[in-house]
Amino acid sequence: MNMFSSCMITALVILTLPIIMSSTKLYKNKLYPYYVKTATSYAFMISMIPTMMFIYSGQETIISNWHWMTIQTMKLSMSFKLDYFSMIFVPVALFVTWSIMEFSMWYMHSDPYINRFFKYLLLFLITMMVLVTANNMFQLFIGWEGVGIMSFLLIGWWYGRTDANTAALQAVLYNRIGDVGFIMTMAWFLLNLNTWDLQQIFITTNDNFNLPLLGLLLAATGKSAQFGLHPWLPSAMEGPTPVSALLHSSTMVVAGVFLLIRFHPLMEHNQTIQTLTLCLGAITTLFTAICALTQNDIKKIVAFSTSSQLGLMMVTIGINQPYLAFLHICTHAFFKAMLFMCSGSVIHSLNDEQDIRKMGGLFKVLPFTTTSLIIGSLALTGMPFLTGFYSKDLIIESANTSNTNAWALLITLVATSLTAAYSTRIMFFALLGQPRFSPMILINENNPLLINSIKRLLIGSVFAGYIISHSITPTTIPQMTMPHYLKMTALAVTTLGFILALELNLTTQGLKFNYPSNYFKFSSLLGYYPTIMHRLTPKTSLTISQKSASMLLDSIWLENTLPKSISYFQMKSSTLISNQKGLIKLYFLSFMLTMILSLLILNYHG
Amino acid sequence: MSMVYINIFLAFILSLMGMLVYRSHLMSSLLCLEGMMLSLFVMMSVTILNNHLTLASMMPIVLLVFAACEAALGLSLLVMVSNTYGTDYVQNLNLLQC
Repeated sequence: MNMFSSCMITALVILTLPIIMSSTKLYKNKLYPYYVKTATSYAFMISMIPTMMFIYSGQETIISNWHWMTIQTMKLSMSFKLDYFSMIFVPVALFVTWSIMEFSMWYMHSDPYINRFFKYLLLFLITMMVLVTANNMFQLFIGWEGVGIMSFLLIGWWYGRTDANTAALQAVLYNRIGDVGFIMTMAWFLLNLNTWDLQQIFITTNDNFNLPLLGLLLAATGKSAQFGLHPWLPSAMEGPTPVSALLHSSTMVVAGVFLLIRFHPLMEHNQTIQTLTLCLGAITTLFTAICALTQNDIKKIVAFSTSSQLGLMMVTIGINQPYLAFLHICTHAFFKAMLFMCSGSVIHSLNDEQDIRKMGGLFKVLPFTTTSLIIGSLALTGMPFLTGFYSKDLIIESANTSNTNAWALLITLVATSLTAAYSTRIMFFALLGQPRFSPMILINENNPLLINSIKRLLIGSVFAGYIISHSITPTTIPQMTMPHYLKMTALAVTTLGFILALELNLTTQGLKFNYPSNYFKFSSLLGYYPTIMHRLTPKTSLTISQKSASMLLDSIWLENTLPKSISYFQMKSSTLISNQKGLIKLYFLSFMLTMILSLLILNYHG
Repeated sequence: MSMVYINIFLAFILSLMGMLVYRSHLMSSLLCLEGMMLSLFVMMSVTILNNHLTLASMMPIVLLVFAACEAALGLSLLVMVSNTYGTDYVQNLNLLQC
């Protein structure tokens, strides 16, 4: 009897301890954030033990704790599935969260409600763990909704700001639309397979799994901000930077992709759903990369970058490589969280300036942040032998050598080069050149909380790809032989993106900004999608109701048709044809005179 | 013609003169209009009753109805003038816009 399940349960229980202590005096203590951070780091270290055991011996566990209820023939219980996916994801998520908590001790240290902030972050982490280790769909749904609610609470952290409230509401609404798909899938499984347990779902056969997989795809579209349900992710940057780093780059938004990866035994035999996933992911990655090119807020560029990488993960699922998508989730967490933390460091140092047109020259002033920003961007674009290379390059190679949709492949390659382009844009505007910010700021990045957290993720960004991909069990066999031009494709398009972006930036640096062209307007207004969806539909219904109820019935038929038209017509015609002067007495007198004269003169008849 | 008809006819002529000749108030013209209608009504009723023109008995009623309409119209015009100017002096009925 080894310590696998006990260590894992211990790690998960350690995470819940600060929440339990939140009703005691400890919660009002000034050291509560430190306590939370330490709890997370201990949970990480303890969860590494089962992970090492899994890597060494391939042992998987399912822990079924507590039988909740049995509804006629279906048994619902609390069960944790500790297999390949959850065992590798849990330490990665805990490591990244540990660094983010240390970072937010620096970032939010002047916030009076910092204890509540850490409690919310910890609650989010717990629900994410519940989601990842769930063995049945009900527990997964609990985690799913939990991360949605915590996302709402954390995005609207500064609730006095209208934009933050709107963004939080937007996140909840878009996630809800995805949840409809999830519930449809649960209902289908309940009706047809009589279970919500993953094991039973995978062994019962059915000829056609199209409907539940479509529901899962809709759920993933909502949660992972694929095209169609994507506007909430850039709007979610209204929350504090640690929230953006944790939720909207590493953990919550990958929940949708994780769901599809969990159901990969169902998806491997369904060609239709794979093609749908592929095309959806390809559209997402290209569209969001185009939108990222002209944004001016540094957090929004990184948010669109996250969206683009999520589209890439969907593409990977679409070419039937769920393990590669999972590897990309794990490696992406490192450098994306680090990119967000570096942008948080820049923002805080420049006294809350988020516009890259007002940054510049930070190369000499913030050396450590500059280093990590550059390394993070290089890892994101897939520089050989950094972290991103081990997942992203493998994805591009598999897509190139597989029998897949050529259009989807082409736009994925274009999006890869655009990734390099907007990364260059961030680095060029924020770091290089002469400073464009106000010189009255004291810039100091010497806080050990900041430095240590970014340093940990920096080491992770450089080495984690190597360590993870050489430690995991071999799953799907990567393509070993391919022509050299296919092998070099990812590197070539990335280099092309870098060079083009650098040239364009350097050339147009001193030029005056003309009237924006149509392509620029398309990109910077996010493809007109939020404008159309959020404004056109309510405006249409309001206009239709005004025109039909108020104007048509009331104004036209009841008011104008008979009464006002008659009076108007009479007035117009009388003013037209009357040329009298209103000398009534004269007219009357002349009439009387004429009568009298006619009576007198014409009296003689006969 | 018998005396009754001449009497009533004279009443009609008097009211007509009163309507055509007036000095300042529009109201006096409208009042004389009512007088004309009244005398016409009486003459019509006397003629019909004396000559037993039974089928024409509805005509005084019709005359009354139209007289009422026309009185209302005249009064509304008077009210409009009075709203604009405060009085109903006929010298106000000019084309001045104010």
